[in-house]
Amino acid sequence: MKRWLVAMLALSLILVGSGAWAAQDPIKIGVLVPLSGIVAQGGVEMRDGIDMAAKEKKTILGRPIELLVEDTQIKPDVAVSKAEKLVFKDGAIALIGVFSSGVGLALAKNIDRLGVPFLTTHVMTTEFYGLHKWVFRCGQLANDQTAIGNVNGILATPTLKDRTYYVLVHDYAWGHDAGARFIALAKKSNIKIYNDSFDKAPTSTTDWSSYISKIKAAGVDGIYIAFITNVIPVFAKQAFDFGLQKTMKIVSAAAPGPVELEAGGEACYGIFGASDWSWDVNSPTSDAWEKKYFETYKTIPSDAAVHSYVGAMNLFNAIDKAGSTDPDKIAQALRGISFDGPYGTVRISAKDNCARNDAVLTETMAASSNPYGAKVVMKVLRTFKADELGPPE
Amino acid sequence: MMMENPASVLASEWPERVESTPADHPVGTKRLLTGCVFLLILGVLAAFPFMVPNRFYIRLVNEMMIYGLLAMSLDVLLGYTGLLTFMHNAYLGLGAYLAGLFLIHVSPSSLWLAFLAGILCTSLIALPVGWVQVRTGGLAFALLTLAFGMMFFTIAWKWYAMTGGDDGLMGVPHPDITLFGWVLGSSGRPLEMYLFTLFIVSVCFLLTWRIMHSPFGAVLEAIRENEERAAFIGINVRRYKLMGWMFACILASISGVLFILFRGYIGPTTMTAFSGAVILMMVLLGGMGSLWGPMIGAGIFIYLQDYISTKTEHWELFLGLVVILLVVFMPRGVAGLTEFLRRPERESR
Amino acid sequence: MTTYIEIALNSLVLGGVFLIVAIGLNIVYGLSRVMNLAHGSLYTLGAYFGFTLVASGVNFFIALILAPILVGVAGLLIERTVISLMRKRSMVYTLILTYGLMFFLDGLVRYIWGNETRFIELPGFMKRTISVAGVNYPVFRLIILFIIAAVMAGLMLLLGKTKTGITMRAASQIPEMVSCLGISMTWVHIGAFVLGCVLAGIAGVVAGPLFTVYPTMGHQMLLSSFVVIVIGGLGSLRGAVMAALLIGLVQNLAEFFITDLAMVIVYMMMAVILAIMPRGLLGEGRFE
Repeated sequence: MKRWLVAMLALSLILVGSGAWAAQDPIKIGVLVPLSGIVAQGGVEMRDGIDMAAKEKKTILGRPIELLVEDTQIKPDVAVSKAEKLVFKDGAIALIGVFSSGVGLALAKNIDRLGVPFLTTHVMTTEFYGLHKWVFRCGQLANDQTAIGNVNGILATPTLKDRTYYVLVHDYAWGHDAGARFIALAKKSNIKIYNDSFDKAPTSTTDWSSYISKIKAAGVDGIYIAFITNVIPVFAKQAFDFGLQKTMKIVSAAAPGPVELEAGGEACYGIFGASDWSWDVNSPTSDAWEKKYFETYKTIPSDAAVHSYVGAMNLFNAIDKAGSTDPDKIAQALRGISFDGPYGTVRISAKDNCARNDAVLTETMAASSNPYGAKVVMKVLRTFKADELGPPE
Repeated sequence: MMMENPASVLASEWPERVESTPADHPVGTKRLLTGCVFLLILGVLAAFPFMVPNRFYIRLVNEMMIYGLLAMSLDVLLGYTGLLTFMHNAYLGLGAYLAGLFLIHVSPSSLWLAFLAGILCTSLIALPVGWVQVRTGGLAFALLTLAFGMMFFTIAWKWYAMTGGDDGLMGVPHPDITLFGWVLGSSGRPLEMYLFTLFIVSVCFLLTWRIMHSPFGAVLEAIRENEERAAFIGINVRRYKLMGWMFACILASISGVLFILFRGYIGPTTMTAFSGAVILMMVLLGGMGSLWGPMIGAGIFIYLQDYISTKTEHWELFLGLVVILLVVFMPRGVAGLTEFLRRPERESR
Repeated sequence: MTTYIEIALNSLVLGGVFLIVAIGLNIVYGLSRVMNLAHGSLYTLGAYFGFTLVASGVNFFIALILAPILVGVAGLLIERTVISLMRKRSMVYTLILTYGLMFFLDGLVRYIWGNETRFIELPGFMKRTISVAGVNYPVFRLIILFIIAAVMAGLMLLLGKTKTGITMRAASQIPEMVSCLGISMTWVHIGAFVLGCVLAGIAGVVAGPLFTVYPTMGHQMLLSSFVVIVIGGLGSLRGAVMAALLIGLVQNLAEFFITDLAMVIVYMMMAVILAIMPRGLLGEGRFE
């Protein structure tokens, strides 16, 4: 009995002692990304980008950064309940991440109850503009910016300008929005569209043969796709099998992931798209960032990772600037903040809480020698200025 | 031998069920004891949100109660009537969608009308489906539930204009909880919603307990044990199966309305075949045929899922392992364990 | 006109893959009364084995033989460890067990191979298109049709002519007689399960270059094969053939003409057929 008592005392002393060692109470940031399901790869890249920012920044308000990562499974209700867990159980003072617009909107609708600022690094819906004083976007280009980028890009590229485009999207909110915007803008700029009511494919589609047959039967020479990034190479591969790329060029509303491009190989050449960045961007900042990323995570640096990195840096810097964890103060600090990173200055507009930055038009093609062992590169064709993409402030 | 009587596939092998023959029905002191246990648990649950005022935990237990109700309703079907369904969650989904649509489009502030709308409309759908389904039994019945369930799921997923498609029904208003005109609280606030859920679930539990331990329940059990014999003694098997089905679906739709009030959101993912199998597992975990067992099963499962998914991104692996171990080593579920305690003299068949 | 030929060919390919998977599921159910919900995960496993083999330099056709064997071995392990334990109990338990198994195998695949989509590289000659009745159709899709036909022929031979096959069919109808004849039912059960897994593996390897390889590929395939079995009738091989081709055709036609509602139509068809003919097109019970 006595021995047991002594052991318990010793144990509790150790526990208390170790607690005392962790005198620095860390700042907890809740990271909500999809880690399972079809966009798991994108979620992992987002997480790694945020992780890299945390490793670089090291401390906020003098306290170490602790990232708490939860899997949203791309389900809005799961994401909200994980967010509640992060905030109420684990004590997170801000939420970052989120891939899908549906999840993002669900979180935004609950943000008053959650009581913390939320910065998404990937949600593309235009509903996020000025949605809520605590909701921000800094990362992936929004649907309207992408549409402008793609349309301007098509007009500026001789091989794309005169084609007729068949529009095929994934059947969910983002796909519909991306498709509709592109068609509306394209028609204004006299780009030929084959089907005004774009075709919708279920997100679980794996056999694209009937869609490909339909595209072939339409006799077009261009395809505009709005698919979840990880599915783009799947479609491209099957289209390649049917020989579509011999006559058609593909323009994509979302940048394909580099890992998938690698697996797709030759079938993934000739895909155009507007995106924040590609590792082909040649600037000292970008190259240094790519090198560090590759050394740490051992994969080809991706768009998802870099814009999550930038978004995270902006959030961390804003908390420092606010000097407190109070959501209103952080929100105030976020408005107008900017960060100079791999793709230039990324500024969060004080008007609508969303980012403005330069972007690039890329085409996928065979890569020349590079430090990442990549066989496919998204070659930068043209740079867009932030105010070209809008929206106006 | 193979499939001549589909119903017998399930009926012939029920030894693992928790026994609930008329001999077990509590009489006298036993009834008092059971009643006390029930009140004790009720008391603990009611005191819980005050003892642990953390919003996350309150909502976690709230979710457990809602799924507990759904699991119990499945037990009515599976444990008592002997009908296996792959997609009972479809009726939670229907209840939630219909009540949600009512709250959004018709009247954002009437709680009880939303309940009525959810239950009534789901029943209107469950009736013809059930009528078709009870003409079969066993595995054929189960596959039919899969077919109809997948159909409902696909409609919820595709009918974008009405249901919001893949994104689901968002921003459903949270009406106030009223009783005879007195406003008791808002379904939007965790504490009040929790107590309201506890109230509704307890009432449903008591009701179901009473009904299942009545002649009606006995008939259902007779059908489960041997459909042919039940028919021979004059029971209209189809009608009773249908009644059991409707009762279970109504309970499920109640859990659906609670769900939409609780979450303010419903999406098609709640109506997939995989979610359906989860509910089955809850019933198994808790113990078929006990009514309260599945509720515990729901609680354990939700906790496990939450716990495991935080610890590792490979939570699927561990979840699968847990399920396998449970089925192999604990097929009678939690309720089966307690049965051992209550009746040590009874031999297992 | 060429479009219709293309649709017909696409339907054959899609229906063919459904068929192999569904027959595997049917065999396991018909012969050993186990509705294996993890069947989709075994299909996924087959695809990943195929990917790893091909990526390590193995010829595609050799991988086509090796990978299913590996899946068969996995199936043997599973059968001997957990499935056989469930045999004495109600089917509900087996269902839930295989459901847990599905989660486990999917998680395992994700753990070993990661989340990324993978592609199975085909030998050069298969990557071209060839002109078939005026349509430029990918060569390897045609080769897949041959593979599927060969597998079906092999199955027919196995079950119809060989002693093993006839024993299995007899066991599905009157197990007691088979035991009386001194044939061990345990081996029949093992054989049936392993055969089902091998078929799932073949479908997986074939689906790799068709649909690409990713961790959740088994989910949709499982659902589709359920639809096939339900429509064709539990335990009926001929029904499965008819149903698989029907669904392949309906899905492709629907995707082409009424793109948005394709899957709704497929599921509604299943519900309607089940409502009118609960035993499926060709009924259940006789396993032939």
